[in-house]
Amino acid sequence: MAPAAGAADKAFPYAYDQYDLANGLRLISVPTDFPNVVSVYIVVHAGSRNEVEPGKSGFAHFFEHMMFRGTRRYPKERYEAVLREAGAASNAYTTDDRTVYHTTFSKEDLETILEMEADRFQNLDYSVEDFRTEALAVLGEYNKNAASPLLKLHEVLRATAFDRHTYKHTTMGFLEDIKDMPNQYAYSRQFFDRYYRPEYTTIVVVGDVDPKAVRALVEKHWGGWKRGTYQARIPAEAPQRAPRSAHIDWHSPTLPWVWVAFKGPAYSDTEKDQVTLDLISFLGFSETSPLYKKLVLEEQSVDSLSVANPDRVDPYLFTVMARVKKQQDVDRIRDEILATFRSFCDQPVDAARLKAVKSHLRYRFALELDNSAAIAATLAAYVGLRRTPETINRVYELYRQITPEDVQAVARKYFVDSGRTIVTLSARGAK
Amino acid sequence: MRTSLVLAMAAAMLGCGRPGDRIRTVELPGASPLVSFRIVFLTGAASDPEGKQGLANLTAAMLAQGGTSRRSYQEILDEMFPMATEVRYQVDKEMTTFSAVTHVDNLERFYALLREMLLEPGWREEDLKRLREQTINFLRVSLRGNNEEELAKEVLYHEIYRGHPYGHHNAGAVAALERITRADLERFYKEQYTQSRLILGLAGGYPKDFPARLKRDFARLAPGAPAPVERPAPADIEGVQVRLIEKQTRSVAFSIGFPISVKRGDPDYLPLLLMQAYFGPHRTSGGRLFRRMRTERGLNYGDYVYIEYFPRGMFQLEPDPNLARPQQIFQIWIRPVEPATAHFALRLALWELDKLIREGIPPDEFEQARRYLAKYVNLLLKTKDAELGYAIDSLYYGTPQYAEYVREGLKTLTLDQVNAAIRRHLRTRDLYIVAVTAEAAALADRLASEAPSPMRYNAPKPPELVAEDKQVERFRLGIERAQIRIIPVEEVFER
Repeated sequence: MAPAAGAADKAFPYAYDQYDLANGLRLISVPTDFPNVVSVYIVVHAGSRNEVEPGKSGFAHFFEHMMFRGTRRYPKERYEAVLREAGAASNAYTTDDRTVYHTTFSKEDLETILEMEADRFQNLDYSVEDFRTEALAVLGEYNKNAASPLLKLHEVLRATAFDRHTYKHTTMGFLEDIKDMPNQYAYSRQFFDRYYRPEYTTIVVVGDVDPKAVRALVEKHWGGWKRGTYQARIPAEAPQRAPRSAHIDWHSPTLPWVWVAFKGPAYSDTEKDQVTLDLISFLGFSETSPLYKKLVLEEQSVDSLSVANPDRVDPYLFTVMARVKKQQDVDRIRDEILATFRSFCDQPVDAARLKAVKSHLRYRFALELDNSAAIAATLAAYVGLRRTPETINRVYELYRQITPEDVQAVARKYFVDSGRTIVTLSARGAK
Repeated sequence: MRTSLVLAMAAAMLGCGRPGDRIRTVELPGASPLVSFRIVFLTGAASDPEGKQGLANLTAAMLAQGGTSRRSYQEILDEMFPMATEVRYQVDKEMTTFSAVTHVDNLERFYALLREMLLEPGWREEDLKRLREQTINFLRVSLRGNNEEELAKEVLYHEIYRGHPYGHHNAGAVAALERITRADLERFYKEQYTQSRLILGLAGGYPKDFPARLKRDFARLAPGAPAPVERPAPADIEGVQVRLIEKQTRSVAFSIGFPISVKRGDPDYLPLLLMQAYFGPHRTSGGRLFRRMRTERGLNYGDYVYIEYFPRGMFQLEPDPNLARPQQIFQIWIRPVEPATAHFALRLALWELDKLIREGIPPDEFEQARRYLAKYVNLLLKTKDAELGYAIDSLYYGTPQYAEYVREGLKTLTLDQVNAAIRRHLRTRDLYIVAVTAEAAALADRLASEAPSPMRYNAPKPPELVAEDKQVERFRLGIERAQIRIIPVEEVFER
């Protein structure tokens, strides 16, 4: 609500307290005036990107499940009971680059939650039996995701676009690796030992709190956590040399999909490339783009057009996806998408449209921050990249600076045939 | 089960003096730089005419995602874009909601558009064509093709309410959607979008005179008659009715349920809400069913129960408001299980339900669930927009502010009341079981045979659990072959 004085022109309008413990753990506290509620987001800077060994895809996510299996002091049943007493909403998620554990609760339970979380991050303890049972829940998660062609599309796009980097596999992991998970108990202990360490962790606390009190509580319960030694070596992806493509025959009726991707840069809050691609994603493919107008509203040949330029620690993909109403239109739609990419290389964009996109981004961000849990969730995503809320202000300052000429230069750099991957999907036998 | 609503009576008592007097408002002013709109019409899929299932939904879609008499939809998108706002719509059986959040910087500009969209619709043929196809693709591809869990849930409602005004999907049926014309849309709008059915909700940092202005603007709608106050009871269910939706899939998704005559404000609402918090609160690992099925046995990704309609549950942790209904069902959601353990998983869920009915909730668990709910209810209302949505629902049900209603009610609630309510409303017979599966005939034979379904695990289990499994594997579901119907997925929601 009312941001701190002097911070009003910043994209992230809240004053925050950033504090490093001696063991390498970082704490970021953000007091807000949304009453009573506190959100704690614990960001572990390891995700499926860290799954470097063959046969271990999906392990970061599996490990997220194991973190709910308890410790000696707080066995699973007691952990659950404490959360229930606190009326807490608690969950976790894993992405390529991070694993995030989040709990939202009433402010009087802050110490209880911080203490219990500190215990499981330091003293997680689970039996082989529990481990093997939980592996089945992960398979259940794969099963529920498998109903949609999107999981398969993600698997094939990554496997086609990447050769060496671990972005080659999805966070969920390959099905054969998931099926083998029950046999990987020893590796799971090693995974915990490597990454569940203070130097890999940032705690975000947002809500009805006093940052000084939060510091003291975190020092008390997390100060004794031992620093680790492991350094992840993520294989670098060699430059792509030629365009690639793949097709998926889907086993049941569906509309065809076409997905066009170009290799993009890593997240940066100092270089213009990634933020410029963000702007292009809206200019070229959002609901107000000429392509959307043509395909979705006028000729109505596509019923869903979506674009993604996700922020990743390492270089990832800029993608545009269309669900096409008729099989015979797929090639033409693909060519329309490619022509839109080319148009950004051929001429600078209209300055007024660029201004509208910048306005959209700024208001969209402001509208997201409508409660403490949402602020913490947003921070967790950025903290996962640069470990500080300041990165948000830097990125939004970069957006402000981008000119039509920047857009053209960045388009020419990334929208090249040799960086392209196209994946299509259609129902088996579709004509 | 006949239900009447306090709200409709209150509306009938209002006089007709100044313009907009029939229009009710819910106002939650605050210091936020954001302004939330929730504009609710008390109409929905239950008001779809026979043969035009989906008309309510398509009408709302035309307003929220179509042009006005002055502007094309593209022009509206272009106007909205720099403000990063959009008008969302939600159509349920009794409520149609248009919602939006805008920054106070853009309030005037946004409201001018919103007013035009809701009060001066364009009814363009090209919008109808696009939105009709979008809706049909939603039913055929997104729901039937790509989302087995939501499909099982929606088919459950469909079967329970067969022959009832609630007996079709909110988005309609394909054949009916193909018949809907612009004239149908205009007629529906004229008849249903009236002042008597309108609730204007506002929250956040809007100017003081803003609600009065909205009321004046919306007074151009016809006065209209109040929304219906009663709905017939759904037909009785005989025995255990099984519907197997056959489609190509890796796993088996289940939904189980039956109608309950309990809604917010009824004496048994809070007892059943507490039961839900104990037995299977949505997407949390703290419920008994989750613990027994996933944590201890690894059968699937999760298992939950509901006493109110909760669509889109796989995508969100908290329910959307403004899905208020005078009638609800009790529902168990079993997330996809491996085909080999499907029979056992179904048995375990009903075994647990049976135990809950017979033995009730243990006293310590009752106290814990009560403390949980009293605090958790705050989290449901953590945004101004959610608070606004719940306030509108409170007006509908004639209940106090939701968090207060729950907290106050919990204070005096006793374990005996809860266990008695469980015995009154829950059962393991006379219900529907819906499954989405690749091998319907084989599953049908298994279920009808009542043959044991022994469990094998990939790790040793405690002796108590193994002993219990021996009983669960033989637990009689009471399914007769004649009560099982296999439905090819291509037929679902077609007509």
